[in-house]
Amino acid sequence: MYDTLLFLHLLAAFLLAVTVVTYTAVALGAPASGRTLFVADRCWDVGGLGTLVLGIWLALHLDEYDFFDGWILGAIVLWMAATGLGVRARIGAEDVSAERAPLMHWLRTVAIVGLLVLMIWKPGA
Amino acid sequence: MTVLAAIRPDDWNLPLLLHVLGAMTLVGSLVLVALSLASARSGGSRAGDDAGGSAAGLRLGYRALLLGAIPAWIVMRAGAQWIASKEGLDDLDEPPAWVDIGFMTSEPTLLLLIAATVCAGVAARRAREGGRAFGGLNTAALVLVAITLAAYVLAIWAMSTKPS
Repeated sequence: MYDTLLFLHLLAAFLLAVTVVTYTAVALGAPASGRTLFVADRCWDVGGLGTLVLGIWLALHLDEYDFFDGWILGAIVLWMAATGLGVRARIGAEDVSAERAPLMHWLRTVAIVGLLVLMIWKPGA
Repeated sequence: MTVLAAIRPDDWNLPLLLHVLGAMTLVGSLVLVALSLASARSGGSRAGDDAGGSAAGLRLGYRALLLGAIPAWIVMRAGAQWIASKEGLDDLDEPPAWVDIGFMTSEPTLLLLIAATVCAGVAARRAREGGRAFGGLNTAALVLVAITLAAYVLAIWAMSTKPS
């Protein structure tokens, strides 16, 4: 059970990376097709939901962790921030007049790296 | 293994971060490559005609391989070696199966990545020059990237479930 949950949780996290890398290319000026952006956005939808649901499931499944551990609550806050920033980056990618879209993307990237740091260091666990 | 995963010495964390960050960037780059090359095959582009769309897709695929996937592979592999050394896994005569799977999927796929980069680069140049066929090279790069991605899904499974 734990192994399957962890595998799916990691797979979901890798889907988030697809979105971050694709939007990084766009932020650096690459001409991504509409289909590429569509797939990147769906990866964010599935990966975001997957990391959250499976992450909470893992926290509840393991005796070593508690849902109210600081690092888990911090990860949820970062997840929410990344999702909010992602929505603004997505709107910006569709509307070239949105000048702050690249900034939203870079802030989302920082949030995702922060999430990864929390998942690995697990401060307070 | 669950307890081992939960309680890890702090000095393993930095190499693990590098390894996972490299792996995530690698897979993200490869999916972008696959999407761009597939888009080039169908000539789709947000701005431009079919020929322009193909050239732009090929160029993006080539650059994502050269500037994204290959450097990410190096970071992933260096992180893997670093943490294997920290854990003493590289000293074992018979390392666990998940370590073997990691090595077996990472090292041959570098060759596939290099081959895909060459194919995509030549195809991108031909598309830019116009009039020369590049569809076969594009397809070859796409197939190589697809094989590599399949290998990495296997590696992610092995790293997370750690079969003995």
